[in-house]
Amino acid sequence: MVEITEHTRNVLLEVAKKKKIYVEGNFLKILKAPDGDEEFKEYLKLCKEKDTANRRKRLDITKQVQNQNKELEIAAKENDRVNKQLSKALDEASSSAEEARLAEQEANKAKAEAEKLRDDAMEDLDSLQKRTQFELMGLIVKVALWVILGVGLLTTGLYLYVLSTGADAKIIESTWSNLFGILLTNSFSIIGTIMGVKYASDKQ
Amino acid sequence: MIDTLMLIDDENLFHLVFEDACSLLDMALSIEALDSSDEADKKFKEWFPDDPDHERPECVFVDLNIIGSSYDGIEMIRKINTEYGNGCVIGIISSSQDVEEIEKAKAVGAQFWIIKSDDIEPRLEEFKEDYEGYVNKTNLFKIYK
Repeated sequence: MVEITEHTRNVLLEVAKKKKIYVEGNFLKILKAPDGDEEFKEYLKLCKEKDTANRRKRLDITKQVQNQNKELEIAAKENDRVNKQLSKALDEASSSAEEARLAEQEANKAKAEAEKLRDDAMEDLDSLQKRTQFELMGLIVKVALWVILGVGLLTTGLYLYVLSTGADAKIIESTWSNLFGILLTNSFSIIGTIMGVKYASDKQ
Repeated sequence: MIDTLMLIDDENLFHLVFEDACSLLDMALSIEALDSSDEADKKFKEWFPDDPDHERPECVFVDLNIIGSSYDGIEMIRKINTEYGNGCVIGIISSSQDVEEIEKAKAVGAQFWIIKSDDIEPRLEEFKEDYEGYVNKTNLFKIYK
């Protein structure tokens, strides 16, 4: 402990009285009032009270600031966490958009393929229809020609038979002539109709 | 009352809290607060081995994780106790209650572990009451919760 001189004591008391300046800090803890000096004891007591009040005030404020700092740190961490989540969500959204774009491309590709297949199928169907038509027309032509040929041969045979036997050939002669004319006319008519149908189908 | 006390902690605001709390509790006459273990290491190197008793603090409080320092509180205690001649009451002041770290601190010669929180004064007061036991090495390792 430090025991101060009378001069210093008086100066300290004077300064405290006139200018309200008091000794403070840890130095106070080593100051000792001379025995019996009640005035200086009171002075030291007052100094300690003021110092304690100031320390307490500063301690409370520092603690408040410390707590605020901690809260700010927590908020900053939370902010960082949310930012990371947002960034992750953004990345996921970008990734999803890319996936959607790829899916759209795939869908478009599939659609184009489906359309191509449909066109091919239509073409095949059209070809099939045409082939069926041609086959039908061929059959009709064949049958018609066979009928014409058959009827022609039959009439011609009958006519030759009548000529060879010397029987009256007038009826058969005119019949053969008429029938042959009709058959030729009909056969050309059939061929003309078929050619017309074929031409119309090709144009369509 | 402790004559000279050293605090090694990277948090400058805690320096103020610690100094004011110690002052209010009449715990120490002078407090030196450092914010890195490197700085403390440099000081201890200067004091030892030429004049190990000169200027050496009576008591040292070391934070466990001293951000921005070359080594943590446990390594600091180990260095002071083994490389710089021991000779002071030394322990950890930290918000951590990690049992593994506490055991490590004990192993390197820490005498106490004070849990750092908003209300530090009651723990420091309790430490102050036990202080003589640490000086005399009669106290066992203690955790102030």
